[in-house]
Amino acid sequence: MLARRLLVAIIAAVVTIGLWPGGTTQAADMAQGSQGASGYFSNSDTLPGSYKLYIQTGIGGGLWGLGPNRGPVKRSSFNMDPHSEVRDYNDARDCKGCHLEEARDMHTVRMGITCRQCHVSLPIAGVHQYYSPMNPIRRHAYVCAKCHEGATPSFAGFVIHEPTVLDAIAEEDFPLLYYAVWFMLILAGGVFVIFLPYTGLLLIREYAARLFGRSNNG
Amino acid sequence: MADTTKRLIRFTPIQRLWHLGLIFIFILMTVTGFAWMYVETHWGQTLASWFGGIKETVEIHKIAGLVLLAGFVLHILYALCRVDWSKFPGSLYSPDLLMMGIRDFGKMIQHMGWTIGLCKAPRFERWAWWEKFDYWAVWWGFTITGITGLMLYNPVLTSDYMPGWMLNLALWIHRIEAVLAIGHVFTIHFLMAHMRPGTVPFNGAMFDGTITMSEARHDHPEWVARLEKNGELEAMSVPEPSVPLRVLYFGVGYIIMAFAVTLLAFAVINITAVTLL
Ligand code: HEC
Ligand code: HEC
Ligand code: HEC
Repeated sequence: MLARRLLVAIIAAVVTIGLWPGGTTQAADMAQGSQGASGYFSNSDTLPGSYKLYIQTGIGGGLWGLGPNRGPVKRSSFNMDPHSEVRDYNDARDCKGCHLEEARDMHTVRMGITCRQCHVSLPIAGVHQYYSPMNPIRRHAYVCAKCHEGATPSFAGFVIHEPTVLDAIAEEDFPLLYYAVWFMLILAGGVFVIFLPYTGLLLIREYAARLFGRSNNG
Repeated sequence: MADTTKRLIRFTPIQRLWHLGLIFIFILMTVTGFAWMYVETHWGQTLASWFGGIKETVEIHKIAGLVLLAGFVLHILYALCRVDWSKFPGSLYSPDLLMMGIRDFGKMIQHMGWTIGLCKAPRFERWAWWEKFDYWAVWWGFTITGITGLMLYNPVLTSDYMPGWMLNLALWIHRIEAVLAIGHVFTIHFLMAHMRPGTVPFNGAMFDGTITMSEARHDHPEWVARLEKNGELEAMSVPEPSVPLRVLYFGVGYIIMAFAVTLLAFAVINITAVTLL
């Protein structure tokens, strides 16, 4: 009887010690967070700071690592106010003055949508900040669904600010897009580079054959 | 020569109708597609204003795309009906069909050799290799723009079946493939169809369905030889189409081609203003 209680106590101690210091690991976060919980929402029910889980449930990767958002992330992206340390920043300034690359997306250039219609929080949150409207667990609802009825998390995985597609940056950040666009461009370019001059050459040859009476069919 | 006034049937009324429909929808897709692609420019907005605004333009582009795909599906059914299934698979390579075979590649090489003066010209059957290429290019183009176009038709629905970032891919592939198709049709296809010495200045074959006997003998000697051997030549010969009809399609044809080439020229001039590129 006593031996059995001792055994239970030892096992309990080992388990507790095993879990306790691992507070920063994802497993421990889940174990702490799921006490008395169903566990159904454990994928989205995370605590601030566990980026690892955030990135796992986040958008991107996928398809053998060829998907988007694989490039490095700046530290400030995890900040509530990424502009807090930016000199000369104030909310009234034109975003394009500093973010030229981000102003090249289709929503901005074609549809005349302003940055703030998507970057809704004030102060504008870093896109990797846990409570940011851009967090993939709520981006579809807080941002996209304002205009796209029924937007889902998958839909919100559309990359708004595409990397410049032919750039080396794109190869790192969104390899599939980079390879697909290069493939299509080489294919399309190849057709023109080969067949447009060839068509010209053929026409010259055919006219020459007619003019100088050398028959087409040998 | 009686040869010059007699003409040989080359296309059936259904084929001509489909080609005519293809012309109009292709031009419509080009105009509405360019309007969207160039909407940042003055030219793009002018194109969009013809349809009452960019929203309406994109809507028309989508509907025209569906009509085009429906036509494509009907064409596939039609093409399947043209195959003599009792002699399958050999009948797939019947010279009246557009199936590509090893022989076509042989003749293509030989024809290229002739172009640069290396060998004698190949004797073509009913379809020369570039005509078959032209035909299959449409399949390739419709498949690629069709799949990506359907994906973009309703992006929210599409992302239920695949990650949303597949739409980034679809947009680029759709764009590049469409520009390839437009560039090909408005340059290479126009030149090869209308500007060759036997047909210049306008090739009506796709509109009245016939070509002159002399042109047939010159460009497709093996076809004429086969028809003569089988005694089918007489049955396939028809008189010249009426002059008003020829004037009509000559005029309309040139208006459409001039319009198309102008579109292409404006697209090239404005290309640097497109931010996404
Ligand atoms: C004075 C220049 C300046 C202006 C103006 C400015 N930003 Fe920034 N922004 C920065 C800098 C610097 C960072 C820090 C990240 C970096 O180094 O790129 C940043 C970061 C951000 C981030 C977080 C990036 C991330 O990786 O998560 C967002 C979102 C953002 N800005 C949006 C905006 C919007 C929207 C506006 C217009 C209201 C704006 N910015 C105006 C300079 C500026
Ligand atoms: C249609 C919604 C939308 C609009 C409009 C928009 N953004 Fe974003 N932005 C996003 C999303 C979503 C992200 C997250 C990463 C991604 O998908 O590209 C993001 C990320 C960013 C980042 C982080 C770095 C990066 O490239 O990922 C910056 C900086 C930024 N946006 C600035 C801007 C500025 C400046 C404008 C206006 C010119 C703007 N955004 C307009 C949705 C939008
Ligand atoms: C302020 C309104 C607004 C917001 C917010 C917005 N969009 Fe859009 N989006 C538009 C408009 C307008 C179009 C134009 C096409 C249309 O009418 O469907 C569009 C088109 C698109 C398209 C299709 C592009 C095409 O060429 O058909 C995608 C994909 C898209 N948005 C994704 C997103 C995602 C993902 C988000 C959230 C991060 C988002 N949008 C947020 C307004 C918005």
